[in-house]
Amino acid sequence: MISNLGLLFLVAGFLCTSFAIFIFIKENIIRRLIVYKNFFLFYKISFFLILSSFLFLAISFAISDFSIISVYENSHTDKPLFYKISASWGNHEGSMLLFVLVISFYGLLFLLSSKKINITLKAVTIFFQVIIQFIFLFFLIFTSNPFAKIYPIPSQGLGLNPILQDPLLAIHPPFLYLGYVGFSLVFSLLLSALVSKQYNHNWASLSKKWVLLPWTFLTFGISLGSFWAYYELGWGGYWFWDPVENASLMPWIASTALIHSILVMEKTRKFFSWTAILTILTFVLSLFGTFLVRSGVLNSVHAFANDPERGVYILFIISLITLSSLIIYILKFPTKHNNRGNFVVFSREFSILLNNYFLMFVLTVVMVGTTYPILLSVFTSESISVGPQYYNTILAPFVFIFLILMASGPLMNWNKNSFFSIKNKLLTYFIISAVLTFLISFFVKEDDSIFLLGILCSSYLIVSVFYEMFFYNKFIIKLNFPRIFSHLGFGLLIMAITLNYFFSREITTKISLGENFLSQDIEIKFLKSTSRQGKNFQELVGSYEITKEKKVIILNPSIRKYAQPKQFTSETSIKNDGFSDFYIAMDYASDAKTGIGIRFYYNYFVRLIWVSFALITIGGIFSLSIKKNEKKS
Amino acid sequence: MSPASKKRLNYFLIIGIVTLILGKFIFGSLQKNTVYFFSPTDLFLSSEKPRGAIRIGGLVKIGSIQAKKNDSVYTFLVTDLKNDIYVEYKGILPNLFQEGKGVVVEGVLKDKKFLLGKNILAKHDENYMPPEVADALKKTGNWNKKYD
Repeated sequence: MISNLGLLFLVAGFLCTSFAIFIFIKENIIRRLIVYKNFFLFYKISFFLILSSFLFLAISFAISDFSIISVYENSHTDKPLFYKISASWGNHEGSMLLFVLVISFYGLLFLLSSKKINITLKAVTIFFQVIIQFIFLFFLIFTSNPFAKIYPIPSQGLGLNPILQDPLLAIHPPFLYLGYVGFSLVFSLLLSALVSKQYNHNWASLSKKWVLLPWTFLTFGISLGSFWAYYELGWGGYWFWDPVENASLMPWIASTALIHSILVMEKTRKFFSWTAILTILTFVLSLFGTFLVRSGVLNSVHAFANDPERGVYILFIISLITLSSLIIYILKFPTKHNNRGNFVVFSREFSILLNNYFLMFVLTVVMVGTTYPILLSVFTSESISVGPQYYNTILAPFVFIFLILMASGPLMNWNKNSFFSIKNKLLTYFIISAVLTFLISFFVKEDDSIFLLGILCSSYLIVSVFYEMFFYNKFIIKLNFPRIFSHLGFGLLIMAITLNYFFSREITTKISLGENFLSQDIEIKFLKSTSRQGKNFQELVGSYEITKEKKVIILNPSIRKYAQPKQFTSETSIKNDGFSDFYIAMDYASDAKTGIGIRFYYNYFVRLIWVSFALITIGGIFSLSIKKNEKKS
Repeated sequence: MSPASKKRLNYFLIIGIVTLILGKFIFGSLQKNTVYFFSPTDLFLSSEKPRGAIRIGGLVKIGSIQAKKNDSVYTFLVTDLKNDIYVEYKGILPNLFQEGKGVVVEGVLKDKKFLLGKNILAKHDENYMPPEVADALKKTGNWNKKYD
């Protein structure tokens, strides 16, 4: 019953979307009216229909309605309620419904929040948004109906994998979607501005927040995913350059470049065509990410069992959207803005230009590393993968230069060669950060040149941010909060990664009860093991004493044995010592009598990585709140 | 040539050269860090032993998992139901590693039938079959509908 209602709302949402398009074409394109009341009304209704459809899907999951295939395949009556509901977007069909919902949500948000802007610009933006919504609804209904039925109705579902029941795994997809699907709005806004001849610096101030909002969600979503992989996969790492991770990183890089170039467009009225191209690129990369994850062309930890045919459809949609947006760009781009001439070296926009070059380079590296294996397997029968060392060796030297740029760029003035006015500051930063690097390297007793360079460049950026915080006018700092937080976060991130890379330790061994294992300065002692009965599993809890440089830490990892389905899982135990983690996992497959295998990680300064992710996200949040204050004052 | 077009020419030249250098850099690093995938039969048929890190994939042969005493070393056979490869792996097995299920192991070959495993790739989904494993099984004609 409920499933029928869900499908009904979905179809109604589709019809309503089509009707909105029809009204716009009839009234506003053919009859050239500038009244959009009905169009907006139908758009709003379509949002609520899609929302209801999604809610009915979630309810079907909550009450375990196994007459729906996707509920049957992905849920189970024994699942906790939270995971039943999150299973609704954990599969292809449900996640595509969420995808459409987010497109529609951004459209509605734009419609309701932008009262002051030109009505035509607004309406045409919604028109493009509704077309994107239409395309994906069509795809959803005709290739991946989330309410497809199964008969006879099974009495129990298939999906009860304990490993997949994790709060972060459950909530990170919606944040990622709010991130990269959100870029659809700024994309529509661009096309609308081009078509209605309003692509100018006011457009830049208007669309800034529509880049920052999804960017903030995307940053947060990527951090959640990374954190999940860290504590759940048991590999001790936080980033694996896995193709699906890359799929979310690519739009992030493009949108980061866009945030900067849109700023130049707003302040100096340059970078018009570059900003337009970046806007298109960001959205296309978001779609490309969806394609990578959903089409099954990838071999990655994230790959789900799925249907390659859908990949072809998504690829078709991507080409359609890319081509038509490029055609609009070429035909409608205002020619009078093409003043490439008066470009000033060592000005603020110059540093942002370099920043954009750098980000495009990183994007190319990630893109090549991600797509090369796919292309190779399509055109030859060879199957390969690209190791993380590829990314690390290429990107590291450039990141160091980039950090210096991030520190010096904000000191420069718009439209003015500022080299002479800032060179004393640059020198001061250099001296302070060199002293800091010296102290750190003395403290940790490491003098590898890459290590020194990493610490020097990251502390250069950190010093510059703190200098600004202490010595600048309070009012100016408040306006610069977003940049200060994000840049500080990035500096700390690179510093944390450098420290983590050089001082983390990994020990894999087998220890019997009561024995201990010594490796350099780390001693691991297996104290005791106890059995206990959980809700639907039996658990063997180990107790390990770790001694490192006179610090003693007790860790309690465990092995769980589930009865239905018959499965073992290994639960990691993590405790921190300041910013560093002690991390241990037990091997479920070994026999307690002959000793239990363990994998131990000492993860140096890994918590600083989470802190820096948080700072970057906070920077994004500030950017949204400050925008409002600026308007009021 | 006018000064303006001369300037533009220089500009394009510099961009071209920088792109070439970076491109060479990227592809050089790509070549060095490429990990090839083999099925047990691919390895059996290959005339030379591949060097460096490779990945192999197939099913974990039922009944072949053995644990070594006093060391966290496992040995098992990876099969595409035609040929087998013996894998020795030091570490702890990932949660979704199971007999009869698909697996991808990354490591270095000691000889053509013996892989020293460094990493076992874990998957999100218990019924998931890595595409390479599916291909490996299809090649030997052991693909079963139930894997779909």
